[in-house]
Amino acid sequence: MKIFINDREIHLAPGMTVRHAIIAAGFTREIDAGEKVFDEWGNEVGLDGAVSENYRLYVEVKKAR
Amino acid sequence: MKHPETSFIFLLTAVIILMVTVLPCGAASLRILYVNDFHGFAESHKRIGSDELQGGIAHCAFRAAELRKEKPSLLLAAGDMIQGDTWANLFAGRSSIDVMNEMGFDAMVVGNHEFDFGKAVLARRIEEAKFPVLAANVTGFDPLKPYVIREIDGLKIAIIGVVTEETPSATHPSNVAGLQFLPVTKTVERYVTELRDKVDLIVVLSHIGYNADMALASAVKGIDVIVGGHSHTKAVKEIMVGNTIIVQAYEHVLALGVLDLTVEDGRITSVSDRLENIAPATVKKDEKVAAIVENYACQVRQSMEKVIGEATLDLNADNARSSESNLGNLVADIIKKESGAEAAIINGGGLRTSILKGPVTVGNIYSVLPFNNYIIAIRLTGQQIKDALEYGLSGIEAKEGRFPQVSGIYFTFSPTRETGRRVGTITIGGGPVELSRQYTVATNDFLAAGGDGYQMFREAIRQASDFEIIGGTIKSSNIAYNDAGRWLRDVVAAEVQKEKKIGSAVEGRIRTEGE
Repeated sequence: MKIFINDREIHLAPGMTVRHAIIAAGFTREIDAGEKVFDEWGNEVGLDGAVSENYRLYVEVKKAR
Repeated sequence: MKHPETSFIFLLTAVIILMVTVLPCGAASLRILYVNDFHGFAESHKRIGSDELQGGIAHCAFRAAELRKEKPSLLLAAGDMIQGDTWANLFAGRSSIDVMNEMGFDAMVVGNHEFDFGKAVLARRIEEAKFPVLAANVTGFDPLKPYVIREIDGLKIAIIGVVTEETPSATHPSNVAGLQFLPVTKTVERYVTELRDKVDLIVVLSHIGYNADMALASAVKGIDVIVGGHSHTKAVKEIMVGNTIIVQAYEHVLALGVLDLTVEDGRITSVSDRLENIAPATVKKDEKVAAIVENYACQVRQSMEKVIGEATLDLNADNARSSESNLGNLVADIIKKESGAEAAIINGGGLRTSILKGPVTVGNIYSVLPFNNYIIAIRLTGQQIKDALEYGLSGIEAKEGRFPQVSGIYFTFSPTRETGRRVGTITIGGGPVELSRQYTVATNDFLAAGGDGYQMFREAIRQASDFEIIGGTIKSSNIAYNDAGRWLRDVVAAEVQKEKKIGSAVEGRIRTEGE
């Protein structure tokens, strides 16, 4: 499945989650440092959240709402 | 002294004014309390980047009970409630159902992970539940109901459940054998048509993800509310798509969703939605639920001490980042066997501690494999296997965690050659590797996602000749096995328990050239 993280294209297997997208995009260090993941609507998403085709995620230093 | 009659008239007038102010004539109020993706995280815990304890189902239960006293209410769960944390997994989800019964849930939709313990277990959990468990788009499994109608404060509310169509692609095939996962949109359309004139409100309890919820609301008219799950979205406020309200409450009961509606003549005339953070510092706990949580937590602690086998020699993880490790062999062999693959490659850094000769407990296995990893098998070409081994060896000087531990593969290498040229001979299944041939290689999901820098598994998925997206799901013959619902450590613990004696040896799978 193709998704985008910080506008970078990532391919994942079915059942993989936000966590796998983070690993694939090399953002694990940022997450460990407290950065959060948001969807394209600005909602924070959990690392075990499901992703879907063309899903867009953003890793940001933004205070979670 | 006040005149008692005057006080009574004043009080009566105040009550009448209050009633007129709060609700218009013929209006009804409804509060929908909702959670999703609990995944058995029953105890309060610290999250990455925070020192505060958060969540806790007993605290969530206390707040839900408080909120229910204020208004006519429904308490709904949008799926993935019984699988995830050891607190739930050890009891195949029974602990989650016990807590949900005590909290008085009105309905739940199955999530994809509800199928992870198999159909027989799920049927038992549904039988134990004192609330209906829904999935309108699943056929072949009678315990699931398509919908339920609840009457609350004079309002008739239909609750239709739907779960992601992608469920079969991420759980063991035997867990969903004989079941059909029908298209969500067509299914909901059918039930909305059937129920629209029979009820005042239609709520879809969905486990399909936030984006899919929006698409559903666009495609099907007549849904009043979608209470969603699956994407673990912290939707701090409702959104409207057409006339449909969409909400979702994050994950692990870190938040409780509170949606207040006023309904007049079958129309929603006011909406107020919020997420309330659940944390021990700010929310009291329900003592009955807390007792259930602790009872199961105590059993989890005891089970970690349970002896499940015996190591006939020390199983060493200390050298797993630079050479063949007998513990690496054990885990790689189990992964290969479980998936039916021809070979297995794992990262030595994933083995976090050694197991000493003697009794082996569940806790020992959990210490070796502390992460929530699962088994996936992917078809790689011989060239991709060679590339993976080369990459795994590229950090040997610094003892990087990517050093490969293998099963079904024998290879030689020279640590002194430049990176990318270190691998010598490779044998798979007893014969020399054929670079253009495909082999089924099992690994963990971390490496498959590109963890530790491995790119070969992801590339193999993407490069498949039959790669296509059908209904939002990748279809690729390159994925041979994918069981996202069973943690690797549980597979290893089960195998140790079955075998009783474990004594994997270093047997020359990985040899330095010239040895």
